[in-house]
Amino acid sequence: MNVIITPIMVGQVVISGLLAGALYSMVALGLALIFGVMRVVNVAHGTILMLGAYTTFWWFHLLGLNPYLSLVASMSLMFFLGILLQRTLVVRVVNAPELSSLLLTFGISIALVNLARLVFTADLRSVEFITGSFIAGPFALSKSRVISFAFAVAITLLAFWFLQKTKLGKAIRATSQSSEMAMVCGINVRRIHLYSFGIASALAAAGGSLVAVMVAIQPQMGDVYTFKSFLVIVLGGAGNYPGALLGGMLLGLVEQLASLFLTTQLSEAVAYLLLVLVLLLRPTGLLGGRAR
Amino acid sequence: MKRLFLAALCGALFLLMLYPLEASGYGVRFMLQLFMWVALAQSWNLISGLTGYVSFGHVAFFGTGAYAGAILIATHGWHWVPASLLGGLAAMLLALVIGYPCLRLKGPYFAISMLGLNEVMRVLVSYFEGLTGGGLGLSLPTLHASVQIYYAMGLAALAVTAAAHFIITSRFGLRFMTIREDEIAAEAMGIDTARYKLYAFLLSAFIPGVVGGFFARDQGYIEPISVFPLVTTITMIVMALFGGQGTIWGPVLGAVALFVFQEMVWARFLYLHEFFFGAIIVVVVLLMPKGILGVLRERYRLPRTI
Amino acid sequence: MRALSLWRSLVLLIVFVVGAPWPVLAQQPIRIGASLSLTGTYAALGQNQHRGYQLCARHVNEKYKMPMVAPMASTTSIFKKGRKYVFMLQSPAEVYLEGLIDLAAQRGLKTVAIINEDTLFPKATVQGTIELAKAKGLQVVFVEAYPKGNTDFSAVLTKIRAANPDVLGAATYFDDAVAITRQMKELNVNPRMYGVTVGGDLPKFYDLLGRNAEFVYGATQWEPELPYPFAKGFTESYKMEFPGADLSYHSAGGYAGCQILVEAVRRAGSLDGEKVREAILKINLGTVYGSFKVDQDGFQVAHKMVMFQWQDGKKVIVWPEEFAAGKAKFPTPPWNQR
Repeated sequence: MNVIITPIMVGQVVISGLLAGALYSMVALGLALIFGVMRVVNVAHGTILMLGAYTTFWWFHLLGLNPYLSLVASMSLMFFLGILLQRTLVVRVVNAPELSSLLLTFGISIALVNLARLVFTADLRSVEFITGSFIAGPFALSKSRVISFAFAVAITLLAFWFLQKTKLGKAIRATSQSSEMAMVCGINVRRIHLYSFGIASALAAAGGSLVAVMVAIQPQMGDVYTFKSFLVIVLGGAGNYPGALLGGMLLGLVEQLASLFLTTQLSEAVAYLLLVLVLLLRPTGLLGGRAR
Repeated sequence: MKRLFLAALCGALFLLMLYPLEASGYGVRFMLQLFMWVALAQSWNLISGLTGYVSFGHVAFFGTGAYAGAILIATHGWHWVPASLLGGLAAMLLALVIGYPCLRLKGPYFAISMLGLNEVMRVLVSYFEGLTGGGLGLSLPTLHASVQIYYAMGLAALAVTAAAHFIITSRFGLRFMTIREDEIAAEAMGIDTARYKLYAFLLSAFIPGVVGGFFARDQGYIEPISVFPLVTTITMIVMALFGGQGTIWGPVLGAVALFVFQEMVWARFLYLHEFFFGAIIVVVVLLMPKGILGVLRERYRLPRTI
Repeated sequence: MRALSLWRSLVLLIVFVVGAPWPVLAQQPIRIGASLSLTGTYAALGQNQHRGYQLCARHVNEKYKMPMVAPMASTTSIFKKGRKYVFMLQSPAEVYLEGLIDLAAQRGLKTVAIINEDTLFPKATVQGTIELAKAKGLQVVFVEAYPKGNTDFSAVLTKIRAANPDVLGAATYFDDAVAITRQMKELNVNPRMYGVTVGGDLPKFYDLLGRNAEFVYGATQWEPELPYPFAKGFTESYKMEFPGADLSYHSAGGYAGCQILVEAVRRAGSLDGEKVREAILKINLGTVYGSFKVDQDGFQVAHKMVMFQWQDGKKVIVWPEEFAAGKAKFPTPPWNQR
């Protein structure tokens, strides 16, 4: 029952992997920010993504506007939600032992997921906007995936420009290198924490809005993205922002190639095995992040 | 004071032993699950409460024991008690294989690696269909043994609490706690931290494995998702935290309190009970990180090893 | 359809048993327990079922506590393990794609590919389908499972395109059914017959996919137009009671489950677990959901599944003969010719 794998098939799958990878990178960048700046392990990251997806859904459903325009809405909304969460809850577990932040964000995640279930009901939703694919030679590129790739790349590049070139961005990077030195240099570290969480949430929301057009929306949808983001961070190195980019692409590729050469079922196993292996062999990640 | 406590404890144990004779089926099942949670919370306490290494995938041992036991019962016709004990050993074996490399990781990395381990186990179990039935799950021959399982779970809970007592009141346990407080200093003092961490890990894996076997027998059917769920790990952590991690009676208290609360809530608030669970977690982490015993300790003079 | 959480069912059973010695008073409300997934990934379907139960309870105006009729449980293994208090309402998983295979054989097709979610019910469906295919002389050329929650099917669909089967069967739930159909179009995968199991029957399936849902075959345990007793009345009251809510066969299943329990208590004349159980074993009744009769194991033997095809935005029942409202549009044209 085996199918002969041709190079064209591999090419097709590599393309799919890269298209997916950009999204993973963008979302994981958010998680990397939170971990890098605050040493908080944010299990609620996927939940924010889910809320972003719902925002897009309601935008499309109630206002009838282009879901890609809703990116602005969902990113802003979640930015503020992120700031709110940080200000009220997460601030207390900044730089705390990991158990506290793991549990706290897990609790927040459950609470938000169930709130979403109560308010939106568990009925599956979807945003039907673009279907079909672009044909490029022997390869078919799903339109919605290409568009989401484009947006993801654009947003990620914007985020990097922000981190590299703006004052706030540099402050964020400084804080993630050493919050004490940052304080000494006059950076208002508490404010940086707020902004970082907000920006990270905006990135997650962007991911949610982009996937809203592709997958079914339901309250539990975020969990899988949380896991993938963790995978990406481990692969790229915690606190290493370009690492998140590499990690995301790598994850996308590995997933698809494993699905092709093995089975789709195993691709899940491969991803997690990769996580454990990287943690054991090179815990600082492939590009080298922080060991402690 | 201590005598009074011991007498009360013996009295309680005596009552618990006699309980199934008088109780309804529901009562027995309720207590049976309660014992299971006490055992799980306490086991988690042995590694994470004492050494400070947060095992965020502890349910992996539970699941391993469940599958090992279930396979022995279903495919090889073993009786469920030895099968579960072997499940415990299987879990210990897993802990040995994993502990060796993983315990070298620090803090959040250890937590994430344990999380990854849990998922890897779940997927591996799904993959080896021939052995485990994969996504189809594993069905055990029907057997109504609630009362026996009640005693079995009770014994497991008792055993691990007794183990916690002996560990915490001994030098052996003191070494664990030293590792928690400052691992580098512990090394400097001559404690072989790698070895002791491994001991703690192995000890903490055995009971969940055994209890997993009992669980499989009790349910009569298991599938990968039902025995490797993240929420089980979270629940045992929150229970231990709520009562007070690093103590002997903390996990017991926490398990009892939270399980009773959960039972009362989920039947009445069908759509809300998970939300309450999330809210409890947030409250416990923010307001009671030291748990009930921690709060009591600050108010009153409690013995160090409670 | 989904594996039961057995401990919950046993808890409910025990709760019932505890309530047993109480005499049945006309005024005393009797409460039905039902095991439903109201949270988690199956919540949408559990909700539908919940509504079905609620409606039935309102109609009957009483509530009961009793042995469990499991409306949505289709996996044979649940019922063949000597459990005495669980009863099946619908056809087993193994026959979900029977219609697809039967129609394919009638048309002389040769090869079948099957993909499935890697959980209990879809796996059981796959096993059943493979048996059925072999029995009808079709060759199974490709089988692959994907993990629950998988959203990107490009790799598996690429392999299927290479294998070029005549028939593609997907043992799915809702969101993967939608995703697979969409991605089939994107990757230009063109089997001559394509059917799904769960999810293809929901009106939402067509809402989300629009014209891309045309020609898709689906399995269903129940459709509103089937000529079952009170089915019409049920559909109308459901729409009145829950305006705008999803009406799927899960809803009807919930209702029928309640109907069976009501009937069983009536016949048994008591709430005693044993008596109710025996009453259920003797019931041979037409419910809103179809015929109900169980064998000694509680396994359903009377209920019949049907297969439909989406044609011009409507579900047209095309199999079996006795319920068919129209002919199947065959073969499914390739995507670029629609």
